[in-house]
Amino acid sequence: MERRFWKGAISAILLLVIGASCTQEKRELPVLGPYAVTDVITDGKLITDTAYTQIRPFLFYDQDGAEITEASVEGKVYVSDFFFTSCPTICPKMKQQMLRVYEEYYDNPNLLLLSHSIDPKRDSVARLKEFATKLGVESSKWHLMTGNRDSIYSMAKHYMIAAQEDGKAPGGFAHSGAFLLVDQNRQIRGIYDGTDPEDVDVLIDDIEGLLNNTKDEK
Amino acid sequence: MRSRAGAILILASVFIGGSGCDYKPRNQGKSLYNANCLSCHMDNGEGLEALFPPLANADYVLENADQLACIIRYGVKGELTVNGVKYDGEMAGNQQLSETEVSNIVHYIMVDLNHQESHSGITEIRAQLENCKED
Repeated sequence: MERRFWKGAISAILLLVIGASCTQEKRELPVLGPYAVTDVITDGKLITDTAYTQIRPFLFYDQDGAEITEASVEGKVYVSDFFFTSCPTICPKMKQQMLRVYEEYYDNPNLLLLSHSIDPKRDSVARLKEFATKLGVESSKWHLMTGNRDSIYSMAKHYMIAAQEDGKAPGGFAHSGAFLLVDQNRQIRGIYDGTDPEDVDVLIDDIEGLLNNTKDEK
Repeated sequence: MRSRAGAILILASVFIGGSGCDYKPRNQGKSLYNANCLSCHMDNGEGLEALFPPLANADYVLENADQLACIIRYGVKGELTVNGVKYDGEMAGNQQLSETEVSNIVHYIMVDLNHQESHSGITEIRAQLENCKED
């Protein structure tokens, strides 16, 4: 009987030790999205190379009416999401959580936030400005963007995000509450539930990892 | 024999624990709050910056306690000040809520979010809703 107890206790301690040592290591984030596998000849040798998709160039306008393009995020890590200001369902929660990321990295110029409005008809630059002011955020860090309707929707698809006009959905649009983490090389490294505080904790950790890891810039 | 008694006990506790609680106004109020109010006013009624006013520990709630039922059902628009912050938005009404459901949400806001002991009961809520119907 006693021997059984000790066996159990020892394996419990072992498990704890293993568990603790695992959490010490920062997890390596995968590159997400479509990729192409090609055979290339380098130095006379045939090598199979994997090319991951980069987020393609874009042009939107933020709450100051400033042009935001791929050049605005060059060499930076950014978090991207899709919302609209009159959204009665998940958006306020998403904005509450994005605000946590904003506050966490307020002083770090290498992290930006890009929120796309999927209701560009109503979400004019002026309206986004009003929203940003009420939220109390600065445009240098958090770009709330509008633009050409088709570009926004195709960009959502490009980010692998579901977004569509839907007369039956509250507010007139149906969309995902996901936050996307994009690295310095404009590659998607993580997808998080922007309405779940615990998932956003993970995002905040992962951002830290990307900001510290310049080896990833390949 | 003993296992049968045990099974009956477990069944009984499932019934009491499972269904009994939901009928307390506070619990129904909380789940109704979560379903209808939380997305803007947030988990603990803290609101969101100057976009959505707080409902917890909110002076506006205490000063306008007899208006809560009408606001919940018919919404509110225009400028109002809560705890010194000006809000100028629009809240949609919730006309699908019954008088009892509105009453349970009021209970939750007053008791759980604002620590009040007394608040409007269903009779008063009914009268309040009757009065603001035409607005």
